[in-house]
Amino acid sequence: MIPAPFDYVRPSTVDEAVQALAAAGEDAKVLAGGQSLLPVLRMRLAAPTTLVDLGRVAELRGVREDGDTLVIGAMTTHYDVQRDALVAEHAALLKGATDTVADPQIRHRGTLGGAIAHADPAGDLLAPVLALDASLVVAGPSGRRTVPAADFFRDLFTTALAPDELLVEIRIPKHTGWRAHYEKFNRVTQAWSMVAVAVTVRTEAGVIEEARVALTNMGSTPVRASGVESALVGVQASADSIAAAASHAAEGTNPPVDGNADVEYRRHLAKVLTGRAIAAAAGA
Amino acid sequence: MRLDHEFTVPAPIGEVWQAVVDPERVAPCMPGATLTKVEGDRFSGTVKVKLGPISLLYKGNGEFLEKDEKAHKVTIKASGKDSRGAGTAAATVTLTLTEADGGTHGTVATDLAITGKPAQFGRGLISEVGGKILDTFAGCLSGKLAPAEAAAPVAEPAAEPVPDRAGPAAEPTATAEPVAKPQPAVKPAPTTAEINTEPKAKPAADRPALHSVPAPPETEAIDLLDYAGQSVLKRLAPVLIAVAAVAGLVAIVRALRK
Repeated sequence: MIPAPFDYVRPSTVDEAVQALAAAGEDAKVLAGGQSLLPVLRMRLAAPTTLVDLGRVAELRGVREDGDTLVIGAMTTHYDVQRDALVAEHAALLKGATDTVADPQIRHRGTLGGAIAHADPAGDLLAPVLALDASLVVAGPSGRRTVPAADFFRDLFTTALAPDELLVEIRIPKHTGWRAHYEKFNRVTQAWSMVAVAVTVRTEAGVIEEARVALTNMGSTPVRASGVESALVGVQASADSIAAAASHAAEGTNPPVDGNADVEYRRHLAKVLTGRAIAAAAGA
Repeated sequence: MRLDHEFTVPAPIGEVWQAVVDPERVAPCMPGATLTKVEGDRFSGTVKVKLGPISLLYKGNGEFLEKDEKAHKVTIKASGKDSRGAGTAAATVTLTLTEADGGTHGTVATDLAITGKPAQFGRGLISEVGGKILDTFAGCLSGKLAPAEAAAPVAEPAAEPVPDRAGPAAEPTATAEPVAKPQPAVKPAPTTAEINTEPKAKPAADRPALHSVPAPPETEAIDLLDYAGQSVLKRLAPVLIAVAAVAGLVAIVRALRK
């Protein structure tokens, strides 16, 4: 189908984009990689008055270091995140999860910032961003503000972004040397996660010193599995200790029900996948 | 597919019923919904729904099959269609109020039939989003009932706690039955679309008595009283249908990316 008519704006800087968004009013929509928005437009499930295309905003692309922080521009594509040496070194969990997103075509067009702003709870990049304690930098008419990932995801497809705000940067504290694994369960390779688990750990001499665990599609937002995290700290990674920690994975979750899985099955999956992810990350 | 939702409002069942059938009080509690036309037991409405990238103007119409004030049960049947042709859905919605500890318990049973692409979606998202809407509705209703209750203690019937909360249609005592509002003999169908949409920010003092016969209402409210009865459900049904449609569309959005 052909989308309903809309005005199209293609700014070349963040400031221009913010102005364009403010000028276009609340029925405007920001276009990032378009991998979710364009199908919606083509199906006429939305009819925004104006599209603000960030595709030419060069300052929103790329990865850089800022002291102990890794800064990823919101318009950096999944493909670029996958190939980036800094991401691999300082945020291995994000690379691992990005590797599982959809298929190569989508990874060349889709962006990290677009996926985060879209906030589909079955999307694979929300849990890593949450687990890595990222901060999300948002630009609006009154300037920039920084929102911790824990406060950013509010509900299904709902974030802390106001209609006149853009996500511009993802700031991730460096997790240098941390090992990581993203364990995803679905029926078709390029499909959305039925359930997935993001785990990253810092080990010393086989003992887990620190652990970050977050779950995909176990609620209307990504969920931090703090019970698992605390059970892992100070533990020698072994089959028994991993199983004990993973048994906490479903605590406090409110998973969705759909044709693929019900609540109990998803809770079961969360535990099993958490065990596998910890084992892969901690090398047990 | 059958969906069940529940909500609780901390107010006596008579008050809740009365409030539920008073569109002026509860209309602002149903987000995005507007009645466009009411003719006897038939009605039309629109619902504007925004969820993430999706923004729909959903048009629904339906009829009201049953209203049993004694059992505090209302059944309506409605069907709807996205204004841009994204999908259709039909639903039968039954709302039953029962007395619960210190309040009123509402159950909403929705029997949903969906055709076309939305048929592929699971019930999870619908149920979840529908539940959120009802939570919002119940929370808003509670907020509205609390001050009114305090302002009209005289009209309050002796509260008789009924332990049997399992009873699907707990028969309220006669004293718990609110004084019925006078129903005009002739019911001209209101046609304005704005009646329910403007914010009602009146302080409780303006609307003191839930149970007493209301003072002559403003012109707008006269229309509202004409069909006081099932307006909330009339609004609820399109909302549920729209929710179902949106959930289906979410599934489509995901399906398209696969």
